[in-house]
Amino acid sequence: MKLGAAARYGLLTVAGVVSLAPLLWMMVSSLKPGGAIIASPFSFDPGQLTLTNFRSMLETIPIGTGFRNTAIVVLVKGALTMVFCPMAGFAFAKYAFPGKRLLFATVLTTLMLPTLVLLIPLLLEMSQLGWVSTFQALILPGAIDAFGVFWMRQVIMAIPDELLDAARVDGAGELRIFTSIVVPVIRPGLAALGVLTFINIYNDFVWPVVAVNDEQHQTLQVMLAALAQNIRSGQLGADWTSVWGQLLAASTVAAIPVLIVFVVLQRHLIKGVMAGSLKG
Amino acid sequence: MATLTEAATTRRSAQRTRRPRVKAAPYLFVAPFVLVFAAFNAYPIFFALQLSFTNWHGAGALEIIGFANYRYLLTSPDFWQSMATSGVLWLLVVPAQVLVALTIAVALRKARFRGLFSAALIAPFVTPLVAMAQVWIILFDQDFGAVNHGLSSIGLPTIGWLTTAAGAKVAVALLVLWRTTGYAVILLMAGLSTIPTEVYEAARIDGASAWHQFWSITVPLVTRTLSFVVVIGTLTVFQLFAEPYVVTGGGPFNATRTAGLYLYKHITNSDLGLGAANSMLLVLMVLALSLASIRLLRSREDS
Repeated sequence: MKLGAAARYGLLTVAGVVSLAPLLWMMVSSLKPGGAIIASPFSFDPGQLTLTNFRSMLETIPIGTGFRNTAIVVLVKGALTMVFCPMAGFAFAKYAFPGKRLLFATVLTTLMLPTLVLLIPLLLEMSQLGWVSTFQALILPGAIDAFGVFWMRQVIMAIPDELLDAARVDGAGELRIFTSIVVPVIRPGLAALGVLTFINIYNDFVWPVVAVNDEQHQTLQVMLAALAQNIRSGQLGADWTSVWGQLLAASTVAAIPVLIVFVVLQRHLIKGVMAGSLKG
Repeated sequence: MATLTEAATTRRSAQRTRRPRVKAAPYLFVAPFVLVFAAFNAYPIFFALQLSFTNWHGAGALEIIGFANYRYLLTSPDFWQSMATSGVLWLLVVPAQVLVALTIAVALRKARFRGLFSAALIAPFVTPLVAMAQVWIILFDQDFGAVNHGLSSIGLPTIGWLTTAAGAKVAVALLVLWRTTGYAVILLMAGLSTIPTEVYEAARIDGASAWHQFWSITVPLVTRTLSFVVVIGTLTVFQLFAEPYVVTGGGPFNATRTAGLYLYKHITNSDLGLGAANSMLLVLMVLALSLASIRLLRSREDS
């Protein structure tokens, strides 16, 4: 459909503003004194801005611990995913081996499986292993990502076989071929997978909220949700003007790292999302 | 495909003579995936299937009770209410999302600053859900929220967003729409980019109107991507957990207790056998819905 240019840019601008408005509102409001968030939610007075909300937020939740835990999970789980997915993708793309079709069908089925289904049995498995409220529980069950395997296979299939065969003739082993030919070639695809993986793990909530029930291992997102619940149940007092400010400050602090990563690497992210559609 | 397999076979036989250990290589490469999958996906699923036929509460031996859990759920008003809630959210989210995302993707196709717009549109998708859920709680508060503040300042009546059944469903649906529509736009843009521009030129020469071009070229050619968007939307809505969990806690009066949230209730109640049965029903539901969406859109493609 051909839209007039004015209509086209009008529509896109409205869509862009709607997308960003709640984010901007969150950040600006987190800097306002509590009363102002309620009395004049749309006002903006630079002279009024204050860090009070951030200071009281620091007193309410151990956000440093949350950040540390999230960082550990993101780094270890992210690294495992980034190694395991290209490895499996390489096997699926460049080898013929008995069992390959079945295994690959498994990957595709996993893509459709609701994560909630695994919640109960996985939790029981964790308690049998004695892993409840440990980093293993947060990291290992998600150390592989079906979409990542699927997509890495697509990317690696594009590498000409001749390139790999030439290396074999020169006497390179299979592992060597993977590390010094495949991995450098797929670096752009790997970068996209990295951004997607980072965002998914950083924002993950459902599994961490089930797998961890002590504060020591709580991730940032779980901490935030707990804060919200305490507020709803009135545990932090009825003075909403002060708790809302804290809540917005905590949300802003939780959102900023991932938004920075996004702004710097958004091209890779969009490429990864698009790959999902074209290949799917 | 035939040549590809052929090439693979010849390559393999060539390697076998030259390098016998190459046969182990693919297995070593898939080993981590297989191990993680077996330990944390396959085993739990079979365990869940087994549990769903027991009345296990988290301790003691497994006692098989046949289909009792399934019978209980399928005759339980709570179960059906949770399914209906997910169904209503599906109706509020998916059609609107397809319509809005397709319109934006078409507008974006020939626009300048495409990267900038795409980035703005997908920013909600990367922002932590839990953080945005808090923002929603505050924005949609009945007495002090910015949304009602805005409504009353232009002379409209305020709405009990989080305190009435209908309002809460709409507020949760808006959060889902806000977070995932940009993702759908990017998917659809990728789909649109595969349509050759010559097709449109030919249509223009034949005198096809803009609307006609949209309806008989764009929509049919992007059907595959559209069905993908619908399937993803369906999976998202029927697995919805964190949004209602954080924003409304499933309330008011279970109005936003989705299928996912109801499933979670079995965990907090330690009704694990029942919960496992509920999981299995959810899998069947999601698979049926995904296949139906694909079927429906495929048949449109054929006609």
